[in-house]
Amino acid sequence: MLLTASNIHKTYTLGKVAVPVLKGVAISVAQGECVAVLGSSGSGKSTLLHILGGLDSPDKSPQAQLTFDNRDLTRFSGSEINHYRSHDVGFVFQFYHLLPELDVLQNVLIGAMIHDGLGYSTAASERTAWAKELLTQVGLSHRLKHKPTELSGGERQRVAIARALINKPRLLLADEPTGNLDRNTGATILDMLDKLRADHQYTMVVVTHDAATASRANRVVRLADGLVVQSFAEAAN
Amino acid sequence: MFQALLVRKYLFSKIMPLLACTGVLLCVAMVLVIWSVMGGFLDLLIRSGRTTTGDVTITWPNVGFAHYDDLIQRLEKDPLVEAAAPLIETYGLIQLPTGRQEMVLVRGVDGPSFLQVTAYEDIIWWRPITKPLRKDVKGEDLRLDPKYTNNMNTVLQQGRTLTRIDEETGEAQPAMVMGIEVSRINAREAAGFYSPRVYRVRMPDGTMKDRDEFLPYTGEVVLSLLALDKDGNVVEQATRKVPIANEFNSGLFEADSKIVLVNITLAQQMLRMHAQQRRVQADGSDSTNSTKEAITPPTDDDGPIRSGPTKLIDEPARVTSVLIRGKGDLGDLGSAEALKARAEKIYAQFAKDHAGQVPDEFSITIATWEDQNRTMINAVQKETGLLLFLFSFLCIVAIFLIFAIFWSMIAEKTKDIGIMRALGASKFGVAGVWIGYGLAIGIVGSLLGAVLAMLIVKNINTIHDFLGSAFGLTIWNPEVYYFTEIPTRLDNFKVIGVVIAGILCSVIGAAIPAIRAARMDPVKALRFE
Repeated sequence: MLLTASNIHKTYTLGKVAVPVLKGVAISVAQGECVAVLGSSGSGKSTLLHILGGLDSPDKSPQAQLTFDNRDLTRFSGSEINHYRSHDVGFVFQFYHLLPELDVLQNVLIGAMIHDGLGYSTAASERTAWAKELLTQVGLSHRLKHKPTELSGGERQRVAIARALINKPRLLLADEPTGNLDRNTGATILDMLDKLRADHQYTMVVVTHDAATASRANRVVRLADGLVVQSFAEAAN
Repeated sequence: MFQALLVRKYLFSKIMPLLACTGVLLCVAMVLVIWSVMGGFLDLLIRSGRTTTGDVTITWPNVGFAHYDDLIQRLEKDPLVEAAAPLIETYGLIQLPTGRQEMVLVRGVDGPSFLQVTAYEDIIWWRPITKPLRKDVKGEDLRLDPKYTNNMNTVLQQGRTLTRIDEETGEAQPAMVMGIEVSRINAREAAGFYSPRVYRVRMPDGTMKDRDEFLPYTGEVVLSLLALDKDGNVVEQATRKVPIANEFNSGLFEADSKIVLVNITLAQQMLRMHAQQRRVQADGSDSTNSTKEAITPPTDDDGPIRSGPTKLIDEPARVTSVLIRGKGDLGDLGSAEALKARAEKIYAQFAKDHAGQVPDEFSITIATWEDQNRTMINAVQKETGLLLFLFSFLCIVAIFLIFAIFWSMIAEKTKDIGIMRALGASKFGVAGVWIGYGLAIGIVGSLLGAVLAMLIVKNINTIHDFLGSAFGLTIWNPEVYYFTEIPTRLDNFKVIGVVIAGILCSVIGAAIPAIRAARMDPVKALRFE
């Protein structure tokens, strides 16, 4: 398994009230697999995705287990978690989360800059070529110098996908990637993600509340009230 | 690398960084302008003092000391000494052509040697000039007029020698060079030059008459001095009509309105400090009582003569000071102190050789130009320090300004911070964006502030004149601040120091918001609306 999580608990505190969001979730994702986490709003699916991506950490518990490529993420130091996020994981968010001051190409390259650190200066031309290649693959080669505000929602999400893939991550985590798009555009984005996954061979976890989106995955994990209630392979895949 | 990209983008994308830059710019410019004006004030104060007193002065006030020629010769043999000159300093009363009486500081100087020791040549006002003053755009200065060139050359020579040719006898008479503001007959034009003006005088019959004269041609003053004997007792009041040879403009209002230079021969005669014969008892004691002495030529009242045999002795001329100019530019205090030490040594030997006739080396005052102006210099230095201290509070305000602007910017950019963290940026890397941003604002603001300060400093008198003509504002009153133009001195070290301080203030102001940004929870940051 590339990614394994078990006994994952997460509790947030709202004022003086403890609100458990995840109550012992277990999930495993194999190399190259596409897993959809399906659940209604508030089921804890985004929290799970953040924990899998190292953006958030599970509650401390001896039983909690979270491994990536057999490495225990719960024991990672701050710098190791940063390294994990920049080298092994790519995020695609529902609201794209592009930096408004940067143009399309720079929004993609910033992931490479964070990944490479000072080494970016020596690899800049190579990285720029790769970013342009990715943007060509998502159909935005003609909009390199446009700002995010000059793009449609679908185009913004395509930029976000290209940014997520700039460092050739082994794991792509998508949080409601079509949640902010109309049905047709959403379908186009999902087609693109499928094609890119076929080309780049990355593992993907998609969080969605939409059964149609989830149906494109190899396997669906249904989450309800902070627990995995069902896990099944999609017949279509 | 991503920090550099974001700093560059943030810097030009919002109004907030422009405000922060402007805040830093104004603080840096203000501190530099204040510092340069106060520095220039101090500099001009010191230079003006040196203009008329040289580097080191040996002084025995009021009664003066004899054998000064010998002392000057000894001093001028020393390799540290460029030249030395005698000077008599006393207070006197002058009656101006307008009839006004003025108490002035009278300095009796020997023209040629005074020129060697001081920068007197540069401050003689009435002379032919070919280039107009900075503000005299129309070229209205009388001294520029080619038809007066010969006359101006004549009065310049008069100024140098402190003499004026008597039209009737054709002989050179000892004369006076007044500070340009003493007579108040010269009108100071806005362009900075002076024009002689018509003035009214009361005639003996009580009528008023307009008089239009150029003081160095025909002007005269009545000078009254109190002559002292060598023991400091008042011998007489001497009053003379003295022709005016020229006027000087040192730029130091206090000097230009209170000091007159007279030919040393005249000063010595009026003060009874010239070489003379004195009658004493044959046993060497004074032939006169303690307050009156026999002088040659005798005055009206020589006092009661004691009985017994008497004899005439030669009494050498006296001066109150000897001015010394060191070799090279003694701008720094160390060189002036070295010259002072050398003068003390020479004077000690001189006093030993003239024991009993001149003050001993422990009583005489030997002071550098800075010693003589220490009270005023210290006051200005303290005032400069105080102003800088007060304005440093403005820098603290600038820190808070940067802090407040960054705090609100970071609140606005919370989602961007979450994105950076999601892409793998470390806390340190995120803090680096904001520290770098503060650094960039500090560098841009401080450098522009330094440029603005240099422009203001370079044109400060023009700006001051504009404020005066447009709004009637006179910020720099020469009667209060001594100088007729706002002095400035902006050295590179000050500029570099203030620019670095401005940059540091910006970074300090950005530091706490940067730490806040670094400590943000990336999940909360991404959900921020």
